[in-house]
Amino acid sequence: MAMLQWPLRNGRPVVQVVLTLTDGQSLVRDLVADTGAGTRDSVFDLILDEDDCLHCGGVPADTVRLGGAYVGSFPVYFVDVRIPELGFDQSIAAVAVSQVPLGFGGIACFKFLRRFNYGDMNDPDRFCLESLACP
Amino acid sequence: MAGANLQSSVNLDLARSINREARQDPTSPYAGKFVGIANGCVVVVADTSREVLRRLKEVEPDPKKCCCIECSADYETVQEIWGVL
Repeated sequence: MAMLQWPLRNGRPVVQVVLTLTDGQSLVRDLVADTGAGTRDSVFDLILDEDDCLHCGGVPADTVRLGGAYVGSFPVYFVDVRIPELGFDQSIAAVAVSQVPLGFGGIACFKFLRRFNYGDMNDPDRFCLESLACP
Repeated sequence: MAGANLQSSVNLDLARSINREARQDPTSPYAGKFVGIANGCVVVVADTSREVLRRLKEVEPDPKKCCCIECSADYETVQEIWGVL
């Protein structure tokens, strides 16, 4: 199984994803990994800047209501997201917000993280994702 | 612009109708599926959002005129985002 690790940023766990702009160019975004963002059953995997969703040709879905760090109703878009080193390449739902956490491109929510094995993998200064074993 | 907004509204109304049906009736043909809507019409029903987006791009290249919905998902319950800002 492939594994990828990133050093903590500002003391927080981070994962790096690749979005695809409408002209085909890649857009790399570092997202804070947050198991407290949403639940297993949330309708979204990520929280991204709305401009990124639009520039990547995100397809609108419904809106979703958030509470906590974000309060109110926010649009959801389906966007193509890749982590090439892990062979991850899927269209997933992202909540579009006007302000993402300072120093990050958005949030990788619990629903996204549990698509992988995740954690420090014995290095407390890094955060790792490992692809799940094929069923 | 007004036309685009109207189209988006029509797409969203249809998406919400399908979402309600799929959540209320597990035997609905939409239950557990993803649906793609373009210009007010359902153009694809598939098991994955990837397949829906692929088909939508073929039918309508302007994503603003499209909509994708996870039919059995709950878009209404408030989702908590614990503080990170």
